[in-house]
Amino acid sequence: METLLLILLLPMPDYLGRAFDPSPGLWQSKEEARSLECRRMSQAQAHELYPGQVPEPPPRGEFGATDALACSQRILSPSERKARDEALLATLRQSVGELTEQASATYPGELTWQVDAFYPDPVVASKVAVAARTDLAERGRKVSDRVPVLAAGDISVLAHLPAKQAYPLACRRYRAQHLLSEKDAFLGLMILDAREFQLHAGVCLAGEWKWLR
Amino acid sequence: MRRALAILSLALAAIPAGALAAVDTAAEARAAQVEALRGEIANQIQLQAYDLLDELVYGWLQQPVFPIDTPVVLADVSAPVGFGSGLQALIETHFTSLIIKNPATHVVLAHCPQCSALVVHSGAKGTVVARGVDEPEALSSAGALSGAKHALFLDFEVEGSSLVLRARVTSLQPALPIVYARTLSSSTSSPALLRGGDRLKSAAEARQEYLDALAGRSVYLIPLHFGLRSYASPPSGSTAQGLIAPLFWLEAGVEAPLTQARAWTGSFTLGATWAPMSHAGWMAQVRVARLLSGTVSSLTLPDLYGFVGASIISLNGSTALAFSENVPSIENIIAADRKTDPHAIFPALQVGLELRVKNRIGVAVFLENLPTMNSPSIGKYLDYSILQFQTFGAEVTFCF
Repeated sequence: METLLLILLLPMPDYLGRAFDPSPGLWQSKEEARSLECRRMSQAQAHELYPGQVPEPPPRGEFGATDALACSQRILSPSERKARDEALLATLRQSVGELTEQASATYPGELTWQVDAFYPDPVVASKVAVAARTDLAERGRKVSDRVPVLAAGDISVLAHLPAKQAYPLACRRYRAQHLLSEKDAFLGLMILDAREFQLHAGVCLAGEWKWLR
Repeated sequence: MRRALAILSLALAAIPAGALAAVDTAAEARAAQVEALRGEIANQIQLQAYDLLDELVYGWLQQPVFPIDTPVVLADVSAPVGFGSGLQALIETHFTSLIIKNPATHVVLAHCPQCSALVVHSGAKGTVVARGVDEPEALSSAGALSGAKHALFLDFEVEGSSLVLRARVTSLQPALPIVYARTLSSSTSSPALLRGGDRLKSAAEARQEYLDALAGRSVYLIPLHFGLRSYASPPSGSTAQGLIAPLFWLEAGVEAPLTQARAWTGSFTLGATWAPMSHAGWMAQVRVARLLSGTVSSLTLPDLYGFVGASIISLNGSTALAFSENVPSIENIIAADRKTDPHAIFPALQVGLELRVKNRIGVAVFLENLPTMNSPSIGKYLDYSILQFQTFGAEVTFCF
């Protein structure tokens, strides 16, 4: 009986280890595993972030490389918001950061930036525009909270044009209406197809529209 | 027969209604569950949002945006997509309280209800309908800005497992230039720091406090054990009969960490036991324990320790007869009654597990080996030929 008990208890550390495994299996369903966001990092970095869970690396180093997989639960499950909104918002910081970095590098001069986003849902559009404005300002660029607004007649014409023509035309109208001066650059972020979530961007400067992505 | 048919048709008619009621109840239960889940998420987000606001205001204390006290309009607080005005109100209240408690930020909140409302402004360029903060000329001419020249915008968004705060301050000039912008992000896996609003500290300082608490919390503890030791009954073929009643022990001593963060601990305790007309005894015990549930003791979860120990136990009274090498006889028991006190002293080696909660309360179970014991009155719970365990014990510990 004792021997049987010992045999049953011997693999206990292995079972306990598997309880922390983020992959789907005995302890975790596929749905639960999908709701995790995992990042691999060094033991030193993991100790810095999670001192209670990850021990400090030994001061004399280790024979093999040891790393940690830090997993955290998504705040909202994927079904809580519309699929396209969720896909866009989940990577907002990264995608907007890439575009503002590109815009900032393409136009390094002393410009005042105005930013707007074009997305079917105005709330999400506002989130995208705010993210871009904040990111540009944090990069040390001069940013204005003002947004150039065209007259209703212009908008009704632009609405009937394909995106590839509408944005360059809008840019020329900004210039013609004196909504943007020589020193003003307009960064527009948008989706071009209702089925996509990847952001595109273009810059309007001196009446010329240039696509960044 | 007719009556039975009537009852049957009534029952059949009632089935769809009953099924529909069940569906309604299930849908309601599901809705209630979703609502409860949403509330739970909102609570977590609320704490994280507070944490980000604390971090923002702490940053302003270190590097104020304005050199002197400056009126600022809190123009907009936007909650993550999918969350309503309830969270927005909580965030706004916490932020206001932080600003009031920390005047060194030089931010003075100004009252401007028109700033977030739609205003209509007619001028030479035409009629414009916009939010107040987007048309500062209109507000200024209406005298609605309360002297404020700046507007603050706080935008929260859930991005995967992080909550992100984007804060910006806009100067209320016609060009609306952004004079300050900051993005702060937190991960859901890092617990909220819950700093006091009037004693803000940086995330690095809060982390250091956490580490200090892990490493140096309660260096010396005074454990008080309430324990019970039960001795195995002799094998069925033995000449000795009778079972020793479990002995109740009260022990107290001192416990100290042997390494940082209480991964190893050592303790020394003295104990006493007494039962009327039966026995009185004392014990001295040392234990070394190793944390099994991690590498550092947890502030939030119970800690599991494995321990080994050694003790010396002394007993006086009739119970001590059971620990002698002879089978207790009537003469022995009578002699014990006549105050010719029987006495037993023996060592014990123990191994066990203890579950501790925050180093305050613990529950332990252990087995004891009595290496010098040859008493026929005591059997073995476990027998590994080279190692036998004669005692099973359990104890509850309170640490002071």
